[in-house]
Amino acid sequence: MSIFNEISENLQKGKAKTVKELVQQAINEGYPAKQILEEGLLVGMGVVGEKFKNNDVFVPEVLVAARAMNIGAALLKPLLMEAGVEASGRVCIGTVKGDLHDIGKNLVKMMMEGKGLEVVDLGTDVPPEKFIETAQEQGCQIICCSALLTTTMGMMEEVVALADKAGIRDNIKIMVGGAPVTESFCRKIGADKYSADAASAADAAVEICKTLIIEQEERGSL
Amino acid sequence: MTQKELLFSALRHEVTERAPWVPFAGVHAGALIGADAIELLTNEDVLVKALLEVNRLYKPDGQPVVFDLQLEAEILGCQLLWAKDGPPSVANHPLADTMTVPCRCTLPKPEDGRLPMVLSAMRRMKEAVGETTALYGLICGPFTLASHLRGNDIFMDMYDDEEYVKDLLGYCADCGKLMSDYFIEAGMDVIAVVDPLVSQISSAHFEEFLTDPFVDLFAHIKKKGAFSSFFVCGDATRNIEVMCITKPDSISVDENVDILASKTITDKYNILIGGNIPLTSIMLHGTQQDNMKYVVDLLAKVKEYKNLIIAPGCDMPYAVPIDNVIGITQAVLQTAEVREMVKNYVSVEDDIDIELPDYAHLTKPLVEVFTLDSATCAACTYMMGAANVAKEYFGDKIDMVEYKFTVKENIARCKKIGVKNLPSIYINGKLKFSSIIPSKEKLEAAINEVL
Repeated sequence: MSIFNEISENLQKGKAKTVKELVQQAINEGYPAKQILEEGLLVGMGVVGEKFKNNDVFVPEVLVAARAMNIGAALLKPLLMEAGVEASGRVCIGTVKGDLHDIGKNLVKMMMEGKGLEVVDLGTDVPPEKFIETAQEQGCQIICCSALLTTTMGMMEEVVALADKAGIRDNIKIMVGGAPVTESFCRKIGADKYSADAASAADAAVEICKTLIIEQEERGSL
Repeated sequence: MTQKELLFSALRHEVTERAPWVPFAGVHAGALIGADAIELLTNEDVLVKALLEVNRLYKPDGQPVVFDLQLEAEILGCQLLWAKDGPPSVANHPLADTMTVPCRCTLPKPEDGRLPMVLSAMRRMKEAVGETTALYGLICGPFTLASHLRGNDIFMDMYDDEEYVKDLLGYCADCGKLMSDYFIEAGMDVIAVVDPLVSQISSAHFEEFLTDPFVDLFAHIKKKGAFSSFFVCGDATRNIEVMCITKPDSISVDENVDILASKTITDKYNILIGGNIPLTSIMLHGTQQDNMKYVVDLLAKVKEYKNLIIAPGCDMPYAVPIDNVIGITQAVLQTAEVREMVKNYVSVEDDIDIELPDYAHLTKPLVEVFTLDSATCAACTYMMGAANVAKEYFGDKIDMVEYKFTVKENIARCKKIGVKNLPSIYINGKLKFSSIIPSKEKLEAAINEVL
């Protein structure tokens, strides 16, 4: 078994200590950090995401796998920066104002990081203005809003309205999700994308970032 | 047989003449009397008044007295974030930074937190409606309570320190036993152990950590002479079987679970299953017709009324239109008639020629009362009653007529006028009251306006 497979397999089992040792071993053996990240850690997290989507694994399994990934990624971070490797996109995420639930939001964050995105976590009970300010200040391509309550999901509409007012909708897309949120609700409030689960949200975010970055580059080259 | 006896019979797994109906009106109860969730969950008089209104309008066979999973957590040191239109949320986790299990001496006593208010409300409800309505006391399930205390780290702890998780769950199950004792003593007939987080773990984790505390808890409730129910939220499909093994009398699921598929499992264990009217898409955002249709369609799919309760998927959102719950009530209580109504509603076309009154040129005020059927629908009876009182007061000065939805021509009339919800009162062709029964003064004032 290649060292990348070993990293992936152990990450899927949530074995943080082993993953850390294997990542260090791969570094010592001279593998590029980008390859260790993409072929080891991200592949493993991708498998976990897929299993989560298919109801084969659940919240605890995802959390321990993500912890293993973060420990491995921490070793790689300085090397990636040194090599000038950039994240494939930047996202800010939070649970909307009045809502303190964060399990779903955390899962989405982990899945997105597992897809190589940089995620700015605003936490819970996040006012609409905070989403907009952060996305603008930190150059995010996506704002992700989470809500678990029927009474707080309406806050997402305010985020959309503020984004409209700020004139940022061409450059920053708004994703929504959470137990009571549906595709039709997403359309109704004018958000850009609804995802039913954390893994799908991560896939969608990668696609959105890719499209936006290409568009921005094209605009820049005109 | 009283409505309570019907529910008890269902909980004893007997065949019943109709499926029992248990509306989970938690914070929504407040909406019936214009009280917000904070008033409802902190003021005993408001709570009792709201619950009596639930009982009056929705004719429940069983009804929860308080739906607040944060009651125990608050006593055990969690701070709460209150909302006007929803139950409070836990804002901090006292065990987040300390992997300890609190001393049993910290467990709730009847005089702690909001328990005195809740227990007193339970006693008053028992006195007021306990003869005919089964009352549900809801406790926070051990796993959800553990997560309130420890935070999301409880999930990681399941890998890092299994013994700690088991100890903490033991503490939380003991809390559940004490709460059950208090609630049973206050007259509750059914103890519902509400544990939404159960849907977030695998069956293997359930068996490793939750089977023992739940078996223990349900055995305790049985020993104390009450029925038990295991409430779960989210897609708990895979865990239905392991939940059955803990031996509750009943299980309640939301719309994420295919209730009929799950019923094949619960039937195997002779456990009753309840649910699962969708809270948001149907109850909150659907029409009265959608709600009635969902229920009659569900009931049409069972071959007999055994081991099934009709209930919302979970605690109803605050702002669920009252009309929708009235429609559900009617669909459960008069299933055959409502099935016919729903069928007629779809099939009645504009070809039934209905001549509407010339509202602009009436010789005297015309009060039109649109009902599902004032003889069977409780809310309709009260609406019609209010109209009759007004008619008596005004005598010949006004005209009054009832249109029952059971008659095809009346459905066509409803469609033509644009009546969306029943019961409702129109005066001179204009909607004046929908579902909320007007007081004598309000109705008289509305009529006087056009006299």
